[in-house]
Amino acid sequence: MTHAGSRAPSRMLIAYAVLAGACAISLLPTVYMIDISLRNAADSFAPVLIAGHPTLRNYAAVLSHARFLRFFLNSALIAALTVVATLVCVTSLAYALSRLKVRGGAIVLLVIMSALLLPLASLLIPITVLLRTLHLTNSYLGLVGPETSLGIAFGTVIVKGAMDGVPLELEEAALLDGASSLAVLLRIMAPLCRPALLVVAVWQFLFSWNEFFLALVIMSRNAMKTLPLAPLFFEGPYMANPGKLFAILTLIGVVPMLFYAVLQRWFVSGLMAGGVKG
Amino acid sequence: MSLVAGGTMSPPARRSRPTRLRIGASQIEAWAYVLPALGLFLLFELYPILANLWASVSHPHAAPSLARYAEAASDPVFWVAVRNSVVWVVVSIALEIAIGFPLAVLIELAIPRGRAWFRTLLFLPMVVTPSVIALVFTTIYAPDYGLLYGLFQALGLANSFPAVLGEPAFATYAVIVVNVWQWCGFFVLMYCVGIAQLDAEILDAAAIDGAVGLARVRYVIWPMLRSTHVSLVVLGTIQALQQFPLIYLMTQGGPANASQTLATYIFQTGFDENRMGFASTVAVVLFVLALVLVAVEYAIADNWLARLPLARTRGRAA
Repeated sequence: MTHAGSRAPSRMLIAYAVLAGACAISLLPTVYMIDISLRNAADSFAPVLIAGHPTLRNYAAVLSHARFLRFFLNSALIAALTVVATLVCVTSLAYALSRLKVRGGAIVLLVIMSALLLPLASLLIPITVLLRTLHLTNSYLGLVGPETSLGIAFGTVIVKGAMDGVPLELEEAALLDGASSLAVLLRIMAPLCRPALLVVAVWQFLFSWNEFFLALVIMSRNAMKTLPLAPLFFEGPYMANPGKLFAILTLIGVVPMLFYAVLQRWFVSGLMAGGVKG
Repeated sequence: MSLVAGGTMSPPARRSRPTRLRIGASQIEAWAYVLPALGLFLLFELYPILANLWASVSHPHAAPSLARYAEAASDPVFWVAVRNSVVWVVVSIALEIAIGFPLAVLIELAIPRGRAWFRTLLFLPMVVTPSVIALVFTTIYAPDYGLLYGLFQALGLANSFPAVLGEPAFATYAVIVVNVWQWCGFFVLMYCVGIAQLDAEILDAAAIDGAVGLARVRYVIWPMLRSTHVSLVVLGTIQALQQFPLIYLMTQGGPANASQTLATYIFQTGFDENRMGFASTVAVVLFVLALVLVAVEYAIADNWLARLPLARTRGRAA
């Protein structure tokens, strides 16, 4: 639907220049972060973008820090569990609403969607009190539960949209063979909705990996902390040594960036196909 | 594919499909599929709202009353937080749309190749951990050794470098800039998805009627993206209201509470000062503020966008 070919080339060049400038601004802080992580102690406070004399010493020091590796492991586990739990909840809810004619389904959908209007901060205190009562603070479940629930509304929009678009003929054939509702979900609907499920998985992984507010109040024990809390933890000890602190920041930030870079093609095409139209 | 018409925020689309479903699921079986999601919703979303409401009015040795709301109303920091929360919403969304929409138009309509690259590179800030971003930008803003100071120095303005995060008048805006930097790519991507899904026939018809170039963007594309605008504004509102790590790590709500928002004030009063009842009251205010802002946004969208030409054709476009 583009008519760019018919445009004057100078206009196109201006468009490229503007977009390149925007990309530079969007990448600049990351470049700066990586450069500081590669600086030696003498250059670490230089007010420049690239200081020169890069070294990997900071990374060697940071990677041998047991606490950091523990944070990393906690984050990976919690993100993985959150993604799986979200996919299970969202897929089965979307399936029930799209195919099983749940009585009151429209109300359920409306109620679940209302969660999109709740700022996390307005839920934080009761969630914390509840988790303390259930002895779930400082446990993986204590973060996985709330993080999953916060992803359900968005995920249901995406997956229900995809399921509504699956033609009924496909499952009717299976039903003639006597397939159960679960078999239809697992063998027909879920595979056909893979692009939508991938969008939800990517979104939830990024949300869980980056989540700070809940982790801050729920994970008070150092052994249970996640990576987003690491800057707070290392800020003090590495105050005089920004190189090491920024090596940690880079290691935290590079994971979701690589994750997204690898999956972005499917994420975007899933969004395009999935009718996340606004 | 016919999908979620009307977008994220609209009530569920009516199912006009003839009932030819033959999955033999009973209501009990069907509700078993609903239960995990609904259970988590009740536990971690509905219950917290009700618990906050109760905690804001209940008192350990007295009858329920609105005393804590009166306490909040006479607390100057509370009003600073309310004001800053509204500033966060308005400034963030205005900048995100003002930057995100034109960039999306350029990506989708003005360049022949490289679209995926630009969408990805602009989206990357979105995926970086906010607590990491907070420390990087604190360093960028830092006096004497930060990148911004380096820029001032190179321009010969080193002596007039402001204490960006230490100045009550700037602190909130300096943090909002970081939020906008992070979220613009999301707005770009959503607008790109919206533009790519516009009905080519309507665009062609408009072109025949003489809507080309900027006129096409202003009078055809902009109004046709109505549901994208509305969803982004609503999402952006909730996002701005719940922003916590950037403020907490960059200014701690300071200097002297100048950059406090409702989100940071809930944390400070509830966890630092251990005034859970008061924090719950602030949380109720935040919840109500979110609903009020979203309602106002819907009213504005109906009044203002509907008056634009072609606005009525939206929705059928997907």
